[in-house]
Amino acid sequence: MRNSLRIFFVGGVTSYRALFNWVNPWVFVPQTLGYPIFEILFFAYLGRFADVQSDKFFLVGNSFVSLAMTGFFGMGNAVGGERRSQTLATLLASPANRFALFLGRAVPSIFTGFVVAVTAFTVCSLVLHAHFAASELAHLAVAGLVGAFACTSFGLCLGALGLRGRSVSLFADTIGGTMLLISGANVPLARLPGAVRAISDLMPLTHAIQAGRILAGGGSFASAGHLLADEAIVGCCYLLLGIVMLRVFEYVGRRSAALETF
Amino acid sequence: MTRAFIAGMWIHVVQFTRNPFDMAGIVVWPIVYASIAYYLLDSKDNPKLLLASSIGAAVMLMWSLVVIGSSNALENQRWLGTLELLVAAPVPFAAVIAPITVASGVVGGYALVATLAWGTLIFHVPLSIAHPLAFAVAVPSCVLAIGMLGLVMASTFVLYRAAFSLGIALQYPVWIATGLLVPLSTLPPFVGRIGWFLGPYWGFRAVREAALGSDAWRYIGMCFAISAAYAVVGSVCLFFFERVARSRGSLKLT
Repeated sequence: MRNSLRIFFVGGVTSYRALFNWVNPWVFVPQTLGYPIFEILFFAYLGRFADVQSDKFFLVGNSFVSLAMTGFFGMGNAVGGERRSQTLATLLASPANRFALFLGRAVPSIFTGFVVAVTAFTVCSLVLHAHFAASELAHLAVAGLVGAFACTSFGLCLGALGLRGRSVSLFADTIGGTMLLISGANVPLARLPGAVRAISDLMPLTHAIQAGRILAGGGSFASAGHLLADEAIVGCCYLLLGIVMLRVFEYVGRRSAALETF
Repeated sequence: MTRAFIAGMWIHVVQFTRNPFDMAGIVVWPIVYASIAYYLLDSKDNPKLLLASSIGAAVMLMWSLVVIGSSNALENQRWLGTLELLVAAPVPFAAVIAPITVASGVVGGYALVATLAWGTLIFHVPLSIAHPLAFAVAVPSCVLAIGMLGLVMASTFVLYRAAFSLGIALQYPVWIATGLLVPLSTLPPFVGRIGWFLGPYWGFRAVREAALGSDAWRYIGMCFAISAAYAVVGSVCLFFFERVARSRGSLKLT
């Protein structure tokens, strides 16, 4: 246990420091912030033009999507990056706990994503003149944390795919793009066909966004609690699935000696 | 030069269609953006607006494929250690990079077909092209204008190690500034003026006007004019950025 914690913290901090050694922070920060800010503004202005929902609808929905993306990419890239730099086989030959190993790399990215989402939310609130009470913001943060957990769990499944495929970040990008549609971030769920809504219910983020909108609109945890519980259940299911996938794909990758193919 | 361009473009078109993960993105993204546009704009009950939105969503994807595809292709060259070999080759470096960006635009042509087909089959958007000849010229001119803007961007990717991240970051600002889905009239006036300098602005209008029945030829002309300007600017930027990268010895850094 102690060893796993050491791997989680030391490995995570080291890889995060390496990221900033690789990318100049003066470039990394505007880039990381620019994408979610422009995404929120794009959909908010599209919503204004279409006369569909308020700015707050798009603001909350897309802030949660930007939070989700870091969960998806953080875990996906943790494995994909090792494959790319040809260190995956060496890493998997070590006795280290896999979950601690990859989660340690992902958590700092997820924390960064949370800071980025909060900053983008704040900037876009000012640009769009959307105002929230302090209590609403606090409740929104709780919904965001539950959503981040579910998305990170889903990202673990994507990361496991990195043991078998080479372009997981592009795949995560595609899944993230699909979330723009099916999670209800930009299109009210009631407008989507029944089959798509059924898929949305099984995806992370959908329930968190719904809960976030209720809480941001002044609703209480009593009215949004069941949605947050659903989101947590979805997150737990993906966490279990991700752990199983990591084990199975590592086994298959070792057997087929495909860990270094790129 | 011509042979290098055509052979390079063909190789990269084939390369882009080899990876199942890449293909998943190419198949899914047009459907996602077209669907969001249809679901949001359907309430306006304006078939012409929906057709224009289809085209806008398709041009968005063309730009994404160019900027992401070319940045990813260049980053791959860097990681595989072949970038410095390409720079050292006797063929001008612009003739090596332009096929990558234009090939991305050609693959992006699929986005147009997929978006229009998706809109017609699922959302019953009437697909009537008012000026087929102008449309047939407008689509490749749009691909060219977007691909050549990609060349200008690609010159910075040579200098910059995190090219792929930069490519992703450039999607939304260009979509907004060129008014592909959100009309520029709903945005602050200065945004539209930025769009005048961007290929997707003219390419989108050329394809849209050809489809809807207005005068598309002036926009097609602007596509060719701006493509020529990009070719000059891109070549100059590539020349200087390549020199900087050579002198820093940073071409091999991953």
